Amino acid sequence: MKSVSQVLFPVRVDGAATLSPDEPFSILEHHVRFGIGRIALVGMTLAGAGLVALTAAPEIEGEPKQDFRSLMAERSKTDEERPGPKEFYFTRGVYSSPWRWNSWAIDFPKADRQFMAAVNTLVDINVADHENAIRLDDPDLRRFPFLYILEIEGMLLTQAEVTGLRDYLLAGGFLVVDDFWGEWAYANLEQEMRRVIPEYSIVEIPSNHPIFNTVYRIEEIIQVPAIGRYYGGVTTECYGCDAFTSGIFDDEGRLMVVINGNTDLGDAWEWFERPEYPLQFSSFAVQMGVNFIVYAMSH
Amino acid sequence: MLGSLFEFLFKYRPLIFQQGDFAFRGSSLGYLALVVAAVAAFLTLRTYTKVRGNSQPLDRTILTAIRLGALGVIALCLLRPVLVLSLVVPQENFLGVLIDDSKSMQIADIDDTQRFEFVHSTFADTESEILATLADRFALRFFRFSSGIDRVGEVSELTYEGTRTHLGQALERAHEELSGVPLSGLIVVTDGADNALQGLGEALLPLQASGVPVFPVGLGRERFDRDIQMSRVETPRRVLKGTSLAVELVVTHRGYQGETVSVQVEDEGRIVGTKDVRLPADGQPQTVRIRFTASERGPRLFRFRVSPRQDEMVIQNNVREALIVVEDRREKILYFEGEPRWEVKYMLRAVEDDENLQVVLLQRTAENKFLRRNVDGPDELVGGFPRTRSELYEYRGLVLGSIEAGYFTPDQLRMIADFVNHRGGGLLMLGSHRSFAKGGYVGTPVAEVLPVVLEPVSADSGENFFAEVSVVTSRAGASHASTLIAETEAASVERWRTLPPVTIVNPITEVKPGATTLLRTPEGLIVLAFQRYGAGKSMAFPVQDSWMWQMHADVPVDDMTHETFWRRILRWLIADVPDQVVASVNQDRVDPNELVTVLAEVGDDNYEELNNSAVVAIVTDPSGDLVELPMEWTAERDGEYRTTFTAGEQGFYEVRVEASVGDEFLGEDAVYVQVASSDTEFYDSTMRLPLLTRLAEETGGRLYTPATVNELPDDIQYVGGGVTVIEDRELWDMPVLLLLLVSLVLGEWGYRRFRGLA
Repeated sequence: MKSVSQVLFPVRVDGAATLSPDEPFSILEHHVRFGIGRIALVGMTLAGAGLVALTAAPEIEGEPKQDFRSLMAERSKTDEERPGPKEFYFTRGVYSSPWRWNSWAIDFPKADRQFMAAVNTLVDINVADHENAIRLDDPDLRRFPFLYILEIEGMLLTQAEVTGLRDYLLAGGFLVVDDFWGEWAYANLEQEMRRVIPEYSIVEIPSNHPIFNTVYRIEEIIQVPAIGRYYGGVTTECYGCDAFTSGIFDDEGRLMVVINGNTDLGDAWEWFERPEYPLQFSSFAVQMGVNFIVYAMSH
Repeated sequence: MLGSLFEFLFKYRPLIFQQGDFAFRGSSLGYLALVVAAVAAFLTLRTYTKVRGNSQPLDRTILTAIRLGALGVIALCLLRPVLVLSLVVPQENFLGVLIDDSKSMQIADIDDTQRFEFVHSTFADTESEILATLADRFALRFFRFSSGIDRVGEVSELTYEGTRTHLGQALERAHEELSGVPLSGLIVVTDGADNALQGLGEALLPLQASGVPVFPVGLGRERFDRDIQMSRVETPRRVLKGTSLAVELVVTHRGYQGETVSVQVEDEGRIVGTKDVRLPADGQPQTVRIRFTASERGPRLFRFRVSPRQDEMVIQNNVREALIVVEDRREKILYFEGEPRWEVKYMLRAVEDDENLQVVLLQRTAENKFLRRNVDGPDELVGGFPRTRSELYEYRGLVLGSIEAGYFTPDQLRMIADFVNHRGGGLLMLGSHRSFAKGGYVGTPVAEVLPVVLEPVSADSGENFFAEVSVVTSRAGASHASTLIAETEAASVERWRTLPPVTIVNPITEVKPGATTLLRTPEGLIVLAFQRYGAGKSMAFPVQDSWMWQMHADVPVDDMTHETFWRRILRWLIADVPDQVVASVNQDRVDPNELVTVLAEVGDDNYEELNNSAVVAIVTDPSGDLVELPMEWTAERDGEYRTTFTAGEQGFYEVRVEASVGDEFLGEDAVYVQVASSDTEFYDSTMRLPLLTRLAEETGGRLYTPATVNELPDDIQYVGGGVTVIEDRELWDMPVLLLLLVSLVLGEWGYRRFRGLA
């Protein structure tokens, strides 16, 4: 595996060989286990990747690209290795939130770009290094089978968005929900998802589910704080609540929605280049994100 | 009419002249008369030369010729010409009468009476003049024949229930049986609807050598007025459960041009497919492709039927049966993908519900890092892509995604080619930046196997190629099993035309000779092509995002086109892929008590043929009783073993073949044989005049029909072999000679009158 630590920081990862032949979904070479000794190294890696991303990234644009063809044409021009569209676009869902203006755009686009820079280095995916936001009622939504939304406590979908997201999920799209805190936000998510796919419920994802070891082995769900909160000395925004990862499975038992509650993976992606941001959080967030992507693309 | 006129003029029938030798039997008085005639001729010539009168030279020439002609006729008669004939001696010779006892003799096409009724009236009726004459002259020996031949005392013993007609074999056996007696010939009463696998040639050699003529009596019509026949059905012998089959049928007919008939497929009585067919011109075969799904496991008897018409002459030939073994097992396909791609996700989802396909995924997620899915156990593919043939050959199909040739060792590339060529597996390469020419496959063994021509890429030619394309079917793709994505061919073609565009980065425009293009773009890019290579087959699908057929906004959420396409293509890819042990039978449908030959091909885990393995065939009859038969190496082909058994009971026989070497079990395979009375006789059951003519001509006999059969007893006297006697037949008193003489005399008189020379 072309890991960040090997590319940017050629330092040996202690005890990395953890081949587990009795796992049907095991990874053949190295699992980077989550531990104190390695956090620093992975963190340094991510910080390096972040710097690379920031250096390379163009100016942040205020409005998301929503026209697929112009987006593709623009991307094609910048890619000298592979003509045509990229295989993977980190796509952010633009949803209606009348009580909280533009909540879909939290951490946008820096988190998206930094995270893609890390993904581009860690796994062999032909990723677009640009942000890609698209409305849930846009017909082109289904061209991007990976969708990320966050801060959904104010989300109130229009009927067109409900239909768009429903078709997206039933056709085979994969949704990651992130960065919401507390029971009220969860209740809002649950209510909106009931509008979208009422026949399915949100359930806990078992710890042995393949999504936790598709690339990296995740042994514990930790709470990732927003950077501002962490400066205040806490990881939570809902006082006493624990981070959780739940999901929605379809009739075939396939995971179509992953919900990261009481945690903020996006903030970790956005700020992992900051030396003061704890590496254990950014490492965890990137590993989870990589697992989500590879899982979505192979399951 | 002509025959009667000939006989009136020449005194005898043409056959007598054909058989006899011409000779003169003149006496000394006759020769003296001949001298007188010669003198008369000389005088005539001299007189006409000297005496001029008022005649012209032309008149004298004509009159001389007429006079000489008349003298010539008289001279011929004085020489007493005869035909020397060899006649069989009455009651000293035997005559074999072979009567067709097969089902086709039940067909009522002779003035609405059944063919066998002629047999009864001619050869069984004691009042039959023909039979009486024959019996007077010959010692008759009757035989009945169909798939075998038996002596019968009386023709009334025949049942006309034989399920096959083996004409050559019948002649051979009858000749053998009568070889110790003087044999004048063999009469064969049949429609000639021979359906033996071997031709007549060898059977005729002994008859020709011993001079035994054959006298076929052809029954039935050469052409039916009104009939529809299911002429041919081609089905695979075994398929996976749930496979959608596109089976080709050939329907022929006479008398129903332009009418529409319904063709149906029944799976053990349940209609599983139907199609309306408009019939073409008389005698022109109509090919029909009909689709149905093999949904029930086990040996299944499928019936393909054309709805019969009320006025059809033969309705038994409207249906054909085919035995298809529907296997309910999971077939393993290895999908090796070089990077995370959406194509992986959606292809696996498409076939996820297919219980008979197990797509094992080996996906490189980063350098030397792999993800496995759908493996059978922790050890499967634990070392990455297979490094030995035996490991790779466990799969029946191999899909190469975005994986560059440089990933493989030279031996692995050769191994992939051998997987197709030698093991008989199916290979599919998908489009991507790391496949085909872009993936560095040009000049590799894998490129040899692929059905498309790979050109080296450069910056100018294809390196930066990218195209968004729509897909259309080729002529072959419109009806091919792997590309039928809708209920009917027309709907399938239309669906392909309306599917959302996909993208291609591999500019491939040419297929290899012998390869078939199934899908292409309007601009000429190849989208899907296949070829058979060695024992297996390969496919090229240079599209990199077929998942758009699932995820594009224009595709309804519940649309199953993408799923159907991948299921079809993967099932077709692994159809007919052999195992280490492959059993087969010479016929999967036999008549009761017919001999069945079982063959087995045995190989080791590298599919190298083995001649030293222990192979047994376990035969289970319809009652459930088992018989274990050892199979011997045939010594004709490496790895081929054979045994035979007689299937006596009606129903399905299961033949399970097991092979092992020492303690190592190599594998097993099962085939099925249906034992049932067949209706083969009703197909192509018109009288085969060419075959019967050949039979007569090559043996020196004559062909008869019910209209001419009354000549048979007399003809055999002259044509037949056995104990014979030489006889002369006088020719001087043929009416034609008298008529000629009178004509010449009257002609001379008339000419003189006409010219004023009298």
